[in-house]
Amino acid sequence: MYWLRRAWAELRDEVFVLPSRTLALVWALGLLLLPLVYDDPYVLRILTMTCLFAIFAASWDLLAGYTGQVNFGHALFFGAGAYTSALLSLRLGITPWITIWAGAAVALLFGYLAGYLCLRLRGSYLSLATLAFPLIALGLLFAFPEFSGGELGISGLRRLANGPTPNYYIAAVSMLAIVLGLWKLADSRFGIVLHAIRDDEVAARASGINTLRYKLAVFALSAAAAGFSGALFAHYLRVAGPSTLEVALSFQVVIWGIFGGVATIYGPVVAVFILYPLTEWLGSFRSFGELRLLIFAVIVLLVLLFMPRGLTPWLRDKLETACPRCKQRNRAWRSVCRLCGAPLSGADAKIKPA
Amino acid sequence: MLRILATLGALALASGVQAQTIKIAILGPMAFVQGENHWAGAEMARDEINKAGGVHVGGRRLQIELIRADTNESNSVPDATNAIERVITRDKADFLVGGFRSEAVLAMQEIAMDYKKLFLGAGAAHSKLGLNVEQNYERYKYWFRIAPTKDVDLVRTLFAVLGSIGQQIRTDLKTDTPKVAILAEKAIWTEALVAAVQKNLPAMKMEVVGTWQPSAKATDVTAELSAIERSGAHIVFTILSDVVGITVGRQMGERRMKAVAWGINVEGQKEEFWQATAGKAQYVSTLDTFAEVEMTPQTVAFVRAFKARYGKAPTYNAATYDAIMILKKAIEQAGTTEADKLIPVIEKMEYVGAAGTDTWDKRHDLVWAVGKTAGIAVQWQDGKKVPFWPPSVKGMQPFKMPHSN
Amino acid sequence: MLQDILVTGLVNSGVYALLAIGFSLIFGVARIVNIAHTAFYMLAAYCFYALLTKTGLGFALSGVIAVAAVTALSVVCYRLVIEPVREHESAVLIATIALALIFQELMLYSFGGNYLGIPSTLEGVVRVLGVSIPYQRLLILVVAAVMLAATWFFLYRTRLGLAIRATANDLEVANLMGMNVHRVAMASVAASVALAAVAGVVVAPVFVVDPFMWLAPLVTMLAIVVLGGLGSLKGSLIGALIIGYVEAITVFALPGGAYLKGAVALGIMVAVLLVRPEGLFGVAFEEER
Repeated sequence: MYWLRRAWAELRDEVFVLPSRTLALVWALGLLLLPLVYDDPYVLRILTMTCLFAIFAASWDLLAGYTGQVNFGHALFFGAGAYTSALLSLRLGITPWITIWAGAAVALLFGYLAGYLCLRLRGSYLSLATLAFPLIALGLLFAFPEFSGGELGISGLRRLANGPTPNYYIAAVSMLAIVLGLWKLADSRFGIVLHAIRDDEVAARASGINTLRYKLAVFALSAAAAGFSGALFAHYLRVAGPSTLEVALSFQVVIWGIFGGVATIYGPVVAVFILYPLTEWLGSFRSFGELRLLIFAVIVLLVLLFMPRGLTPWLRDKLETACPRCKQRNRAWRSVCRLCGAPLSGADAKIKPA
Repeated sequence: MLRILATLGALALASGVQAQTIKIAILGPMAFVQGENHWAGAEMARDEINKAGGVHVGGRRLQIELIRADTNESNSVPDATNAIERVITRDKADFLVGGFRSEAVLAMQEIAMDYKKLFLGAGAAHSKLGLNVEQNYERYKYWFRIAPTKDVDLVRTLFAVLGSIGQQIRTDLKTDTPKVAILAEKAIWTEALVAAVQKNLPAMKMEVVGTWQPSAKATDVTAELSAIERSGAHIVFTILSDVVGITVGRQMGERRMKAVAWGINVEGQKEEFWQATAGKAQYVSTLDTFAEVEMTPQTVAFVRAFKARYGKAPTYNAATYDAIMILKKAIEQAGTTEADKLIPVIEKMEYVGAAGTDTWDKRHDLVWAVGKTAGIAVQWQDGKKVPFWPPSVKGMQPFKMPHSN
Repeated sequence: MLQDILVTGLVNSGVYALLAIGFSLIFGVARIVNIAHTAFYMLAAYCFYALLTKTGLGFALSGVIAVAAVTALSVVCYRLVIEPVREHESAVLIATIALALIFQELMLYSFGGNYLGIPSTLEGVVRVLGVSIPYQRLLILVVAAVMLAATWFFLYRTRLGLAIRATANDLEVANLMGMNVHRVAMASVAASVALAAVAGVVVAPVFVVDPFMWLAPLVTMLAIVVLGGLGSLKGSLIGALIIGYVEAITVFALPGGAYLKGAVALGIMVAVLLVRPEGLFGVAFEEER
């Protein structure tokens, strides 16, 4: 009983006070309850893929948004997870429920390695170096075709579960858990340190922060999440091929990340949930289905022109304002801050959010 | 009285609700030549069948309805799996035909087998598709390959033609062992082929002077061709499926190489090849499927009708025409559209189609036979694809060598 | 074999140099990583192809029109798409990616996904040091050399070039000195894309033209520019020579490993970055506060 009242208090005080958090709760509940009302396998397939890509995009944001290491080769970790899980489950017969974790672990190692190689690089140099990593990996994969399956990849993988609904739940629950975890991490002291590193690494180091360790940790963590989603992806499609490492996928996650809004974690998730089903839906139209990539690119461009910081920051600013005194966010239509009582609008409200 | 009426009404409703058409989904990369041919071949079959009244199914005649599904498989395997799931669950397709990129077809096959839908392949050559049928018949029996023959059988055709070209070189150039340079793109599908070639050529009294493996997307093979020229090869044995086929054709022509190219050159099968090589691909020869020769009594008529309707010759993907005709024959023979009942019918069928005379083995792959399913060999001469093999088929013309000019 | 490597490497380097210098110029001046750079190269190739086959204009005229048209298009794109979001670096990045995708899809839609061949401007081969080189490739080399000389002249002997160099050095001070930074940025965009367009027109007959032809050169070009140092023209030139020769050596020395040439080039880039994090001649940019 105490827990119920505590949960209700938490909900009322932490979640419902902000429209964005309420929306997030509604969305999460909607995702979980959807198959009970509507279980069309095609729709479930699209949503499963969306959830997997959402994990992928959120992991990119942790790396790129929070530490400023814009990774142009994030597909490396995705592919590493996919291939590892595929190889272990197919060649050694281990159940996929274990190999997906192995995939995440191997991706974590790759992340650590990539982070190590990029330690001294900054800005565009880092981005372009990371672009090279998946391509080098691709070259190596093609060099050992008996091991990696060459251009065909590894096929005939076992599913984690049978049927569209169980697979959907696996993807949705994983996504909610990982995204929530990443967001909590980014919202904690760890996240503040990451922000500091991004804004001014020299100052952070001067303050005594071991930036090396943080940067490596973020690379590894981000890679592990991406690898996990890659492994799930491979077992869902039952094929792990070189398409999991290609440049187009790396570019795609960059688009999702920036479109949704960097340094938010939930931004790229929103972007994936909007853009991926949209492109799929456009593709189902017989007349202009073949133009769907074009329409996608135009939409991205247009949104960028009006919301250069990304979609979710813009939306959030419409729904919420930050209190000028205590900097906490409030519903936009409130007149005084819910925490410190400072006036939110009118002549007394001076500082607008950055 | 009311109950009788209700039952009658329900029956009427049920038969009305029952499919008035047979829905066949054509899956392929519609923005590219392969998908275009998938669709074109299917359209020709549909129009021919519907015009003749449709398909006989146990007393009724049903029209064929085609569903066009762009798999975009050349760029994205998930797009292909989404497309096949969509046509099965949304569009309620009864049968699935098409496919091209082996990686994608392997994934699509899984979904088709999940839903127990007949999936007739018209593009992917990978042996694993048939191997699945052999290893797990109950699950994969719904898959049949209509085109092409599986990859290992392609080798047998290649050797057959190589033998005759080799013989021509022996007589023309008065040399005992013609020299062969292997030029195969680096890909998993070529590995077995390259090994087979290296092993068998000495037995055919030909010498392998070297093996070069450019990337499938290579846009420059100067290095390889220089080395091949220096090795003194008479034949360049090509195993190419992508852009590199165009590069090879063009650069061999630009360098006026004395060696002749024979092998698999998938780009060389397309009408656009001559333009893509800027008219330089003289003497390039490749395995192919359709030409105006009498492979079967239907071939010439089909190719002519295709050219008249679409303005260009069909590629092997247009075997969707044969696929749909096979479905029709099976349905009419079995009297039903149920997949499980059609499978034994197709397994035992011998079908004389536009591409060849088809029979299937226990892997649901085509049984290879020269003059039946082995295909033809064509050579590019002055902007046209000239068929020159097998000699047993009417319409073949002589093979030209660069040195004979 | 040595002659093969020498000659092929030189020709490859010429092509890459044309692309890399343009990209470096834009980055040095406007701090824009223009992912669509090779997409403009592709557009020029298609434009050249369309003019050659659909109209009766000769090679020279078609080439000039193609270059001019694509350059003009780039300035328009810059004004409409890039300039409004100049302050947000990440937005600029995906704006250029989106642009490249739009160009790709437009070409796919208009010309289809098939590979197209453009007739060579010059036919025939010539034997140099026992290696037969098609005249078209010599043309590429000559054009690359001429364009590089022209670029050097433009940057170091004209007032606009001076302005561009000044802006690349320090944007704020150049602005304070009275240079119209926007116009300078546009000029450098135009110059850079013009170089890419020339590359497209001259190189396209040697390769095949398809809507995805911008991806492979993009990666190699990025490798070169990073290797040589972002923003350094000398670095781009040297980088182009290095990568061009590395690729030639890989292909000639390992006939069975020719497919690895991309991975090897990228590997070298990573190796250089480990030793010199700003590339060979790169300038470390101070964090702009």
